[in-house]
Amino acid sequence: MESVTGGITRRALLQVTGTVGLSSLVVPILGHSRRASAQGNPANLVPEEPVDATMKRLFAGRPIKDGASVIKLDAPLIAENGAVVPVMIEVDVPMTAQSYVKAIYVISDKNRRPMNVKFGLTPAMGQAYVGTNLRLGETTDVRAVVEMSDGSLLQTKREVKVTVGGCGG
Amino acid sequence: MTEIGRVRIRLPSAIKAGAIVKARVLVIHPMEIVQRKDGKVVDKNYQFINRVVVSYLDREIGQFETTQSVSENPFFTFAFKATEPGVLRVIFFDTHGGKYEGTADVKLS
Amino acid sequence: MPRACLAVPPWAAMIAVVAVGCAGSAVETPTARSAQAAWSGTSAVSSSGSSVSRAIPEARGDITTLADGRTVAVRYPGWTTEDFGRFRTYAYGDTRPEVPISRVPMPVGTGDSKRGRALFLDRRLGPCTGCHLVQGEDVWPAGNVGPDLSIYGDRHLPREYTFDLVYDPRHVFPHTVMPPWGAAGVLSPADVVDVVAFLDTQRGPVPAEKDVERDPKTRGKPTGFGDNLDPTNNPAVLRAESADDRWATKGPAGKACADCHAGGVLAAMKGVATRYPQHVVKYGRVMSIEDFLAVHGPETTGISLAEESADNLDLTVRIKMASNGMPVNLDLGKPENAAALARGKSSFNRKVGQRDHACADCHTADGGRGAGKFLGGRLLVDVTSGMTRHFPTWRTSVGDVWDMRKRLQWCMTPLGTNMLAADAVEYAELEMYLTSFDQGQPLSVPGIRH
Repeated sequence: MESVTGGITRRALLQVTGTVGLSSLVVPILGHSRRASAQGNPANLVPEEPVDATMKRLFAGRPIKDGASVIKLDAPLIAENGAVVPVMIEVDVPMTAQSYVKAIYVISDKNRRPMNVKFGLTPAMGQAYVGTNLRLGETTDVRAVVEMSDGSLLQTKREVKVTVGGCGG
Repeated sequence: MTEIGRVRIRLPSAIKAGAIVKARVLVIHPMEIVQRKDGKVVDKNYQFINRVVVSYLDREIGQFETTQSVSENPFFTFAFKATEPGVLRVIFFDTHGGKYEGTADVKLS
Repeated sequence: MPRACLAVPPWAAMIAVVAVGCAGSAVETPTARSAQAAWSGTSAVSSSGSSVSRAIPEARGDITTLADGRTVAVRYPGWTTEDFGRFRTYAYGDTRPEVPISRVPMPVGTGDSKRGRALFLDRRLGPCTGCHLVQGEDVWPAGNVGPDLSIYGDRHLPREYTFDLVYDPRHVFPHTVMPPWGAAGVLSPADVVDVVAFLDTQRGPVPAEKDVERDPKTRGKPTGFGDNLDPTNNPAVLRAESADDRWATKGPAGKACADCHAGGVLAAMKGVATRYPQHVVKYGRVMSIEDFLAVHGPETTGISLAEESADNLDLTVRIKMASNGMPVNLDLGKPENAAALARGKSSFNRKVGQRDHACADCHTADGGRGAGKFLGGRLLVDVTSGMTRHFPTWRTSVGDVWDMRKRLQWCMTPLGTNMLAADAVEYAELEMYLTSFDQGQPLSVPGIRH
């Protein structure tokens, strides 16, 4: 488990990105990053890929059960635009030291890079409840994949239609 | 875009000891998305928040890995168990080495 | 030579009542600027010639001429630069008629129904689906301002009738809001023949609807973006707080807003915004908060505050926040305001542009007009419900704050008419008319919308 020290400053923070989807590594500050290896350069981003490739990369073929009975995934039926789409996920399981929701992945199937965010949780949160605003490229299924502390996986999904065009812009 | 890194956290006004509290946080940030010119991806260091660390009473309780497909001026909500008075701290890290922090005092009623 | 109807006699400017109640501000002697016609119309290069816009360059409605003689519009980044100058604008001096009613013989030939469908759905044109539903799971999102055409072909109307109707609906339906697609040059006669061919394919039985959202009749209404005044929901609230610094910081003239307006923005400006837009005697014209700041700021503090600049927008939001919860309270009994209101109403009903539209066509509900219906995926708001009390608003689709003027300027693009300068008096008086429907309703600024 990585620790975050108070000493991290605004100086460039190099991050090794070969391990996207797992706990990210923090390397010590090496000074100002060079453009070629900067975190935000396309070479260091997750590849554009179909959602099946994302799912394979993240979960390597592990079985994913239907979590519809315990996962509440709130998202609008119709989003007025793809720029700000509010989603909220709540998992109806206790959060104890022995068994807790370790991660919630939000994935939008039709996005060029399907994974929007991975929420990492701990028992101290008391409840598996997270929310954010997503960017969607087009009408798509949005799915929540829940990883439990024992490594088991559950998912649920729903379609969000994205409104396009119109005189309002 | 004014003031990258301005953070606001909101907590409920009355918090009982041991209650599960829902926090809301927003940070001003462009969350730059990949640009294309003539169909090709423009090669530059896109500035977006890629990590969010939540700590309470100086202990990390959550960490979010975020991407360019989180909306500009990112908003997050999450729960935490308010066991004692203390500081809730949310730190945002971006791809340009930026570190932006917001705190909220957890007071118990 | 200032336009007579808007010029302020020099003696009136001496009785300058500065509307924001600034106890410390001097009554200024009239300058050439305040005696001049109060910046109306399009831009400095327009034929009216009397405008002195105080907006940022991309908000002035300017038209420039390229080396090859083509004219292009100077616009906000990403907006179309097409010059619609051949079509009527909102400028008071623009006395040109609407697109003339016209009729042409229908070209020979059966038309291409597949091409016609592509034209029907093309967002660079109508799209026709903006107002009319037709068959197809890919039709998203269609509107219902116009009739559902899913079984139009079953009516077996003469092809020439449909051709005439699409080419210029006005000689079939004199009070229609449907644009004159052919007469205005959006569709060629050959294009219209293809559309006619497509409409002929729209026959029953219509497939069972798999998706209730596809049909605007059964589609759910938009649910909005939550609490507009929550700073963890609306970035514009956080952004406006930075205006407090602007207020307290001295400008090039050695003064800050705070020097005359003590106690911070929220205290000093409480109630002020409820009276705007209004006729300001000192400047001889109707002004919104934005218009006033663009002149008052540089005069007193030397700070630019150009209309549509971030400083102007943030200060406007902050000044309006000082009146949040208070009812809009325009002084419509004052003769200058009443006269301006009448002109604004006239603008609201004025048909302009390539599309030959008036604001009323979308934003009133009677006579087949659009309010309460979907235009494409957008639910059209009725002007009588009040459209201004949450402006300026955060726009999630653009990630920025828009004031009423920028929203009006944006409308110009789908109408196919050149925009005027953001601070044009025509827009100010139109804004006053729109605001009159918010009279008595509480301000809630900034809003948060698509």
